[in-house]
Amino acid sequence: MSGAASSNRLIDVRSGRTTTWADLRHVDIPAPAAVVVDSSFAALPSVKAHAETGAEFLVVAAGRMEQALRTELRSAGFAIVDPDGGVEAALVPRPAQDGRLWLLTSGSTGRPKQIGHTLASLTTVSGDMSARTWLCPYSPGTYAWWQVVTLALGSAGQDLVVVDPSDLDSWVAAGIEYGVTAASGTPTFWRQTMMAHKDRLADVPLQQISLGGEPVDQAVLDQLRTFFPDARISWIYASSELGASIVVHDGRAGFPVEWLDRDAPDRPRLFVEGDELVISSPHHGAGLDGAVRTGDAVVIADGRVVITGRIDSDEINVGGAKVSAGVVRGVLTSHPDVAWAHVRGRKSPLVGNLVVAEVVLTSGETAAPEVVEALKAWSADRLPDYGVPRMIKLLEEIPAKETLKSDV
Amino acid sequence: MSSVSREQLRALMGEVLATGGKALPDDDGALLADIGFRSLDFSELALRVEDEIDAELNFEAAGLRQITTIADVLDLLTEIQDQ
Repeated sequence: MSGAASSNRLIDVRSGRTTTWADLRHVDIPAPAAVVVDSSFAALPSVKAHAETGAEFLVVAAGRMEQALRTELRSAGFAIVDPDGGVEAALVPRPAQDGRLWLLTSGSTGRPKQIGHTLASLTTVSGDMSARTWLCPYSPGTYAWWQVVTLALGSAGQDLVVVDPSDLDSWVAAGIEYGVTAASGTPTFWRQTMMAHKDRLADVPLQQISLGGEPVDQAVLDQLRTFFPDARISWIYASSELGASIVVHDGRAGFPVEWLDRDAPDRPRLFVEGDELVISSPHHGAGLDGAVRTGDAVVIADGRVVITGRIDSDEINVGGAKVSAGVVRGVLTSHPDVAWAHVRGRKSPLVGNLVVAEVVLTSGETAAPEVVEALKAWSADRLPDYGVPRMIKLLEEIPAKETLKSDV
Repeated sequence: MSSVSREQLRALMGEVLATGGKALPDDDGALLADIGFRSLDFSELALRVEDEIDAELNFEAAGLRQITTIADVLDLLTEIQDQ
């Protein structure tokens, strides 16, 4: 960490405790290691250790650490450090890579994929900045989480107010109490906040509002403007693979069409091929070079390039959390009563999409509410809550055209 | 277009909560945060209403408002069915 940043304040909303990087407790990382944390704040000592020693590691939220992932990481040479401090050794030990940080992203197949970064490649904002108190509302170890954490690690005067995704309902009160001046969240996060905290939201002294992780529409930007007429409202297009690639501060959805095919040093190049956004970025992860097809669809209208959503419908975006339709389908079809399943996102208020499913039972029954409930419970035991199909429709038979598809 | 009455809305809300092993209290003033009715639940309820009335709900029409109690949810979903 930069010396000037060592006195930045780190505030844990859950415990009400305030500390600094300098005063944070010391931990050793048995590199390479996957550090499992049960809260966002609990990850910070390992971040400090990495900044000081370059120990290779990744942060993973306990809720994401399933047995299959644990085995995969151990096979990839990582020791697992559990929240209680217990260490499970790697299955295939290997030497650590100095300075390496890993992010877990939902790969296109839904299986978590490791993307190699370093503190430098994750730090997209550095240098002298006005002093700010940042809300950190993201799930520990995600790209967006690292974006906020590296800010507080690299620049003086950048304090962190850390709130866990499960405690988000309390953030507005904490934002007022601790004087949060900058906050970053998904459009879903902001829509939920405006709905649940309409009365008090404007009391948070926000000067900088950022949105990312999902398509950003004009409505959510305009609504935020009514609460914060003087704040800078920015949206950011970033991903674990590409890093931050587009930052727009003018309060409008989309980016100016003039930014396409433009060459500028140290800036990503943006292209549109067909209706897909293609980016070649200086902030990309290790091993990714040249132009990357983003899988995100764009529409060009009124001089703006607006990102509308995923081209590949396998990925369902539930309030910023990504779910693979294929993984959910696999969970459903692994149930002994299920003959066939189709999983998709259905457009929904607040969270953008909900996971819904159509299922054919081996019995062919179509009126079996108890089986539907059992399938939801089955899914809830095997998937994060946003991945559980909220509505399951029973069909009498497998739709004919679907049976011709190779992926079913 | 058919519409869903407030009582039906309440019943649907109870079903959504029941799936998560939670109960809907009788008091419409109960706080959503206290009964564990989260944004995923709200979204599911909206979809169930859409299925009942066979039309998409227009949330833009509702404008911004505070949604903290059971009554807030019932009011909102009742109102926007008519938009």
